[in-house]
Amino acid sequence: MNIQDLKVLICDDSMFARKKLNMTIAGFGVKEIYEAADGEEAVAKYCEYEPDVVFMDIIMPKITGLDALRQIIDKYPDAKVVMASSVGTQGHLKEALKAGAADFLQKPIADDDAKTILENAAKGVL
Amino acid sequence: MFAQFFGAYLLNKKLVTPEELTQAFEDKNKTRMRLGVLAINAGLMTAEQVEYVNVAQQSVDKRFGDLAVELGYITKDQVEELLAQQPTEYLLLGQTLVNNGALSNSDFEAAINDYKASNQFSDEDLVENTSESISKLVSVFYHLEKAENARVLTNYVSMLFKNIVRFVGSDFTPLTSSAVRDFSANYLVTQKITGGVNGITCIAADSAEYLEFAKRFAGESFTEVDDFVNETVGEFLNIQNGLFAVNESNENGLELTMTPQTRSSDGKIVFEKAAFSIPVAFSFGEIVFIISIE
Repeated sequence: MNIQDLKVLICDDSMFARKKLNMTIAGFGVKEIYEAADGEEAVAKYCEYEPDVVFMDIIMPKITGLDALRQIIDKYPDAKVVMASSVGTQGHLKEALKAGAADFLQKPIADDDAKTILENAAKGVL
Repeated sequence: MFAQFFGAYLLNKKLVTPEELTQAFEDKNKTRMRLGVLAINAGLMTAEQVEYVNVAQQSVDKRFGDLAVELGYITKDQVEELLAQQPTEYLLLGQTLVNNGALSNSDFEAAINDYKASNQFSDEDLVENTSESISKLVSVFYHLEKAENARVLTNYVSMLFKNIVRFVGSDFTPLTSSAVRDFSANYLVTQKITGGVNGITCIAADSAEYLEFAKRFAGESFTEVDDFVNETVGEFLNIQNGLFAVNESNENGLELTMTPQTRSSDGKIVFEKAAFSIPVAFSFGEIVFIISIE
C-alpha cells in the first residue's frame, strides 16, 4: 500500500492542531483525511470510516484520548492508533501502550515523524 | 537566551529605552561583531582603549586588531582567539546598541561587567543555552530562590522561555514579574495542570498583541480574533504545559496532566492563591504569562 492510499483520522480538540497536521499529511499525498474534535467523536468517526491510522490527542473534552483509544481497541483490536499528545509523560506513555497504542508522538509533531508513522502503516509494520 | 535577560537588565537599569531595545532586536541579525566589543567582553581591553583605537583608525588605514596589537593593548594570539569565537546573541545585541548610539562602549563595558558580577554568571552561563544556565538566568532574574515551589516555578518559567524562542521568536524582553490575585485583559486563555502539582496557567493579552502572538505561533496571517486564533494561542499554552509535564516526569518523576484549555469570557481571572505574572515585551507588544501553583 502507498501512503497516498491510507485513510487517516486526526483527533484533537484544537482546530489549530488539526489543521496543521491535516496540511502536513495532505502534503504527503494522503487524500482521505477525517477529523474529530473530542474523544466521543473520535470513537464515532473510527467506527464510521475504519481508518488505517489514527492520530489521537490525549487531553480532550467529553472523553480523553486514552479512553477513546480503549473503546476503539475494544471493538477493533488491530486498530492503529498513534497517540499525538503534548503530554508524553512516563505515566501517559505507559498507559497508552498498555491500552494498545501503536506509537506515541510528542507535540508539536515533527513532519518527519508523521511521515515515518504513515510509511510504517503503509508497509504494515506500525 | 542570555541576550533577552541582559536586555531586561539594561532596561531595568534605565540604560536603554524599550524603543531602543526593540530596535536593536530588529537590527541584531544584520550586525557584524566588532573586535572592540569582543575584547571588552573578554576583559582584554577597556572601553577607553577601544575608543582610542577607533579614533586612531580614522587617521591610519589599519585594521582594529593590528592597531590594538601595535599599541600593546592585546596580543596577536588574543586577536585570533577573539576572531575565532562565534558571536553570541548578547554580544550582538550589545554591538547593535552601540552601533545605534543607544550605548557607548564604556556603558556597555560597565553594564556587562556589573551584570556578570552581580549575578555571579560564568562565561559558560552566558554562552551555553543549557538547561542549567537558563534555569540560573531565570531564577536570578525573577528572584525565585526564595519562592515557595522554587524548583517547579523555575522549571516552568525556563521551559516557557525556551518555547517562546522555539515557537514565537527571540525578539523579546522579559519584564519584571509580580504577584497577582486577579488579572484582566481582552483575551485570557487558561489551562489547569493537575497531578503531583496543581496549578493554573494563563496567557493574557490585549487584542492586537494576542493576534500577533497567534500569527507568529501559527505562521499564518490573521486579521481578527476568532475561534481559530483562540485555539492557536491555546495550543501554545498546551504545548508549553505538555513539555513542562514531560520534563517533570523525566527529570523529577512527577506525573502531571492537564485539562482542556478554556477561555475566560469576561476578560478576568481570579486566583485562589497569589499567582506569578510574567509580562514579556515582544517587538509587537506585551503578552502576560501567569502561573499559580496551588
